[in-house]
Amino acid sequence: MKILIIEDEQGLRETITAYLTEDNNICESCYDLQGAIAKLAFYTYDFVLLDIGLPDGDGFAVLNYLKDQTRSEAVIIISARNSLDDRIKGLNIGADDYLIKPFHLAELKARIIAVFRRKSTNSNNSLVFNEIVINLMGRSVEVNGSAIILTRKEYDMLLYFIANKGKVIAKTALAEHLWGDEMDMHDNFDFIYSHIKNLRKKILDLTSNDYLKSIYGIGYKFTDE
Amino acid sequence: MKLSSHYNKVSIIVTLSVLFFGAVIYFFAINNIAESLHDDHLSEEVAEVLEYINLNKQLPKQRDFDEDQIKFSKLKSTHIATRFYDTVYNNPRVNINRAGRAVEGSLVFKGDLYKFNIVISKESTEYLLQLIATITLTLIAALLLVLFLTNRYLLKDLWKPFYRILYKIKAYNVLEIEELQLTPTKVNEFKELDNAVYVMSKRVKHDFQNLKHFTENASHEMMTPLAVITSKLDTLIQDETLKQEQLDQIHDIYSAAGKLSRLNQSLLLLVKIENNLVGDIEQLNLDRLIDIKTRQFQEVLLSKDIQVTTALASKEITCSKYLIDILLNNLFSNAIRHNTANGKILIKLSNSQLVFQNTGLSIPLNNETVFDRFEKGKTSDGIGLGLTIVKNICNSYNWDLDYIFTDSLHTFIVKFR
Repeated sequence: MKILIIEDEQGLRETITAYLTEDNNICESCYDLQGAIAKLAFYTYDFVLLDIGLPDGDGFAVLNYLKDQTRSEAVIIISARNSLDDRIKGLNIGADDYLIKPFHLAELKARIIAVFRRKSTNSNNSLVFNEIVINLMGRSVEVNGSAIILTRKEYDMLLYFIANKGKVIAKTALAEHLWGDEMDMHDNFDFIYSHIKNLRKKILDLTSNDYLKSIYGIGYKFTDE
Repeated sequence: MKLSSHYNKVSIIVTLSVLFFGAVIYFFAINNIAESLHDDHLSEEVAEVLEYINLNKQLPKQRDFDEDQIKFSKLKSTHIATRFYDTVYNNPRVNINRAGRAVEGSLVFKGDLYKFNIVISKESTEYLLQLIATITLTLIAALLLVLFLTNRYLLKDLWKPFYRILYKIKAYNVLEIEELQLTPTKVNEFKELDNAVYVMSKRVKHDFQNLKHFTENASHEMMTPLAVITSKLDTLIQDETLKQEQLDQIHDIYSAAGKLSRLNQSLLLLVKIENNLVGDIEQLNLDRLIDIKTRQFQEVLLSKDIQVTTALASKEITCSKYLIDILLNNLFSNAIRHNTANGKILIKLSNSQLVFQNTGLSIPLNNETVFDRFEKGKTSDGIGLGLTIVKNICNSYNWDLDYIFTDSLHTFIVKFR
């Protein structure tokens, strides 16, 4: 995937670029509106990450540009403004998702994959990780050809892990992804642990590979290494 | 006491006393004048009597002097000084006693010393006095009535702009977008007052807006550095050489960053609610929403062994779904966070109110500050804005939010209107 990252905050730009530059992804970045339009004029991308508050104008201009040129780049807005109006405006001009700062990189990656899957019409709409096959349309999971029944939380969790395969995912990131706003009341992660335990058990029933590794004190990692 | 009644009181007291003293002085003056007229009349009588005696060489008879009553009596030897005095006049024809004026003195007739005494009636002047008194009293009454009416109606009218301005100030709310309007008036003082109020309200609103913008901008500006912290941590934990203690510390940084971000979101939400910036009003089934929310919190409730009992009547409200979601979230979170193990949560919904009750500390919370910003229990790990947000959401829909502590249950009551 070819990704353009438009973000004026250097620290954020660099870490996003570093996190996403893997899995054969090519990332380019720029820090202002002018640079973004210039890059988009010369190259095509699969994905654009767009910050709304840019130093030389607001990011909606990029969306308008893409719309006028009838381009097919998928766009995720990353904004510090949690405003319903901005969100609706962005989605109306053609953005595919809207992510509010601060966010976890794992969350960003999961969103990118979800949007990309949704957008790509030619794909068979399944996500494959070795012997695990997730059918995104039917929300069903097969391991070694036999279906396993997952609860909604377990399914979301598995999807999140596979989207971020090979990466350490912090417990807080996982909790925020699964529980969202409710999460702000408990910093105890016992129930994450019970979901993880169930998910691992269900997968291990059908395969001998334990992909789900616990990184003590901080979180989990889904990897086949 | 109203200003106009104050004024009425003072003006009536002053008017009455001036009129009273005036009337007293008036009465004595007229009385005096009448007296001296009578005395003049009596002196003339005396002169006439003396003239009569000189002319006719005999004492006059009663009938020679009309109505006036003259008496003569012999004196032994001493002269008496001439004097005037008030007495009773008896009209012999109708035999009625009236106020009279008399003179007495002595005269010499044919070598003998006589005392004379003349009495005249004061009836005519009495009548005049009565007439004057009646007219004066009527005048006083009329004057008082006119004064009273003017004070009442004219003053009331005069003060109307003042009451309009006062009403405006009372209704003034710094949160409202609408500006205070000027009240048209011809009275300079009120015009000045109105202008002062207008300028002040504008300044207050401006300052308030500034402060709000500051909060909003500060919160927004903090989001980007927070995003940097979070993403750097996400990158940092990928490092496989990190030791256990370092990971523990990173986890704490995560928690703090998460807390800071939630704090910011809450502050921004408060600004939004106060500015009425949350639209998307729709018809909602509150009972259904509470059911859904209870299910969402199921896991947490189970992990803490908290039992939820609901008694929900069907209730429709027209609100922002987003805000109601936050309201229920915060009420639930609050009831769970401050609960005890094996505790209870009771939720009752009726047409007029929504009640959340939970077990918890056996000490009631401070009723006055429970909804204040950053007011939280010593053991609470929340950010202290949850109930403030609930309160503000209730305010924005004109609902009452109360806290009471009954039957060792912390009870929050939302009263719909």
